[in-house]
Amino acid sequence: MLIELKNIQKRYGGVAALRDGNLAVNAGEVHLLLGENGAGKSTLMKIVAGLVERDGGQMLWNGAEVHLKTPAEAAKIGVAMVHQESLLAPQLTVAENIFLGREESHPLGWVKRRRAVEAAARLIEQHHFPLRAEWKVEKLSPAGKQLVEICRAIQHGSSLLIFDEPTSSLSGAETEEVFRIVRTLRARRMGVIYITHRLEELRAIGDRVTILRDGQTVHRGDLAELTTNQIISHMVGRQVSSTYHRDPFPPGEPMLELEGLTVKGKIDNVSLTLRAGEIVGMAGLIGAGRTELCRAIFGVDRPDKGSIKVAGKLVRVDSPRAAVKAGIALVTEDRQITGLALPLPIAVNMTMANTEGISRFGILDLKKQATVAADYITRLRIKAQSGSQPAGRLSGGNQQKVVIAKWLFTQPRVFLFDEPTRGIDVGAKAEVFDFMHELAKSGAAILMVSSEMQELLQVADRIIVMRQGKISGELPGRTTQQEIMRLATLESGLESIS
Amino acid sequence: MKSLQKLLPFLTLILLFVALVIASPHFLTATNLSSVVRQTAVINIMALGMTIVIISGGIDLSVGSILGLSGIAGTMAMAHGASIAAGIAIGILTGLVCGMLNGIMITKLRIAPFIVTLGTLGIYRGIALIISNGLPVNKLPQGFSFLGEGNILGIPFVLWLLVLCALAVHFLLEHTRLGRYAFAIGSSTAAAVYAGIPVSFYTTAVYAIGGLLTGLAGMIEASRLMTGQPTAGFGYELQAIAAVVIGGGSLRGGEGSVVGTLVGAFIMGLLSNGSDLLGISNYVQQVVIGAVIILAVAVDELRKRRLV
Ligand SMILES: Nc1ncnc2c1ncn2[C@@H]1O[C@H](COP(=O)(O)OP(=O)(O)OP(=O)(O)O)[C@@H](O)[C@H]1O
Ligand SMILES: [Mg+2]
Repeated sequence: MLIELKNIQKRYGGVAALRDGNLAVNAGEVHLLLGENGAGKSTLMKIVAGLVERDGGQMLWNGAEVHLKTPAEAAKIGVAMVHQESLLAPQLTVAENIFLGREESHPLGWVKRRRAVEAAARLIEQHHFPLRAEWKVEKLSPAGKQLVEICRAIQHGSSLLIFDEPTSSLSGAETEEVFRIVRTLRARRMGVIYITHRLEELRAIGDRVTILRDGQTVHRGDLAELTTNQIISHMVGRQVSSTYHRDPFPPGEPMLELEGLTVKGKIDNVSLTLRAGEIVGMAGLIGAGRTELCRAIFGVDRPDKGSIKVAGKLVRVDSPRAAVKAGIALVTEDRQITGLALPLPIAVNMTMANTEGISRFGILDLKKQATVAADYITRLRIKAQSGSQPAGRLSGGNQQKVVIAKWLFTQPRVFLFDEPTRGIDVGAKAEVFDFMHELAKSGAAILMVSSEMQELLQVADRIIVMRQGKISGELPGRTTQQEIMRLATLESGLESIS
Repeated sequence: MKSLQKLLPFLTLILLFVALVIASPHFLTATNLSSVVRQTAVINIMALGMTIVIISGGIDLSVGSILGLSGIAGTMAMAHGASIAAGIAIGILTGLVCGMLNGIMITKLRIAPFIVTLGTLGIYRGIALIISNGLPVNKLPQGFSFLGEGNILGIPFVLWLLVLCALAVHFLLEHTRLGRYAFAIGSSTAAAVYAGIPVSFYTTAVYAIGGLLTGLAGMIEASRLMTGQPTAGFGYELQAIAAVVIGGGSLRGGEGSVVGTLVGAFIMGLLSNGSDLLGISNYVQQVVIGAVIILAVAVDELRKRRLV
């Protein structure tokens, strides 16, 4: 047994994040760690990686008890982790981040910069990641940051590698590459712990499974002996379907019309129409310009050319403020930076984009704010003590739900979702899709960007595919993954990711 | 445990109070207490403004100079025949404009608040010296002294004013959109922008309100001395910032409260008053106050770290 965790406990103030965490991983296996949002997966792994100290229980490393108090101590025995929320240094470059803490230095003390850049470039090349060693991490998309985290972890880990939702914002090609990396590590007799909410990934790489629910290990066993439905019911303790189905209704008036929208170097002459009641999926590779398109519609980047109409009227969207006023909402893909004010209470975050909705005569109605928050907390199954808990203290998936709630509360006419289900568990995904369906029914138009083709196929009425800043085609909702991939990759589209 | 540490500044204040009552027979007298209140009120009212600025993630190093300039502007107006009310209004307005200019430069030129207000710290002080020729403004109407030295119902008028300002700022922070947005901008500017908050407008408003309160403080200071001093308020910015920080405000933004700031300002006020009473030298006082600031922030950080 490479590592064994027994009866691990961890409390944060009044909440027990872990009550009875058990996990045993052999060298040479890929161990899946599954559970709902807030089940305690990340916390358990942070304990192994030396980022969090346990309150109780045992951790055995090759049979001997250890206490890892810092990531440096964990690194010493060969443990490294790909974090769910980026822990990179934003001001440093990709290369500097990959080697941070292990810089090769000259005997006289200076760091061998060029060597690091070359080594990083080789690593990136080897995995075909759309990155450059000298790029600043701050400028990367969440997907880019995730890839840097992965490069960094495989540089630092030699005996146990922990992947905490490594593919949550990656699309097909990069996901495949992550699988290849994981298999190589397994072949090298390393231990791998892999956390994911993408159920279709399980069979592709997993050997054994541990399932957490409410901080307790509720099931351990071989993956082969479990059906997906059994896994889900262990996770959530109730019946939830892993597939979603909706009946589209006939689309109404055009709600969003883009005409030749162009942002130099990012998106090129994009025209599209979203109608009331429609859910339009948007697929594409990393860097295809989907996020950039959302940013342009939402007034973050000013278009160089083109026009935007909302509900038939020409609007000048030169700032997010103007966009919100025009009735556009954008659930951004980066919940920790653009999505949430992490130190502020959940309730404040949820109402931040619509303070009018909780004000009377310009004065905030704090009771109403609490009611609104409590309502979304129940409806989206957010695992929180109360609405006054800081958003930053929630698990990753629950933070994502707060961002979604914030925009639901603005009651927009045009809803842009950029990777809305990133890191959300299977139960909550169905919940989010229900909300989208409701929104559409009430006459909103929805654009949903997703790298998860499965979910686009389940939810979207039609799917638009982007490649290199252009729309490369449109497909009906009942299309196939192969069709989407064909349009997404006509030529290799792996240019700029930033 | 958690709430105990949150209450720490408050307990410190009470402890300090009790200790001074025991240590000095001159402490618990009406004259001394009212003099503590009058001394602290100026810093306190400035610190209330600074609280909003710091919550929004900013800082205003120029408040000492704003205080000086406002005092000069208001008293010069009175010396030239303006009524007392008009003079006070001019002083307050000067503060408002100075703060607003800070805000406009910060948001329009996109320069860090530290730099902008470091610059205006010099500029505003310079203007105060230029328009007054570096000379104090005397010959103020007798009634003006009421602002700083008067009593209502036996309680210093400035204490009434302070309570009023504190209530207003508390209401602003907790119950209005401006306060809400100040917290949001201070916690995460990116999230605030993406939420459609007019960040520039509210940032400017925050500095303007800070300036307004500083202008009021400037008039109180002038009234207490019954002169307009172009050098008034020199170094006050550090005391105002210290009050906010001792009271739990964070220079990273997004944190701070009116009650905390009041407690912070009174802790500093008692420390200096107590040192005076006990004959502790000015030099030692500075060391003590410096140490208290570091200690307060260290305790606060410790509290937060335990929760992450
Ligand atoms: N810093 C913190 N302070 C307080 N509570 C925390 C903190 N971090 C996590 N928690 C709580 O601990 C519980 C477990 O969180 P954890 O991040 O381990 O969940 P997770 O299983 O990784 O969920 P997800 O799938 O959403 O990433 C949650 O209820 C969360 O609210
Ligand atoms: Mg997690």
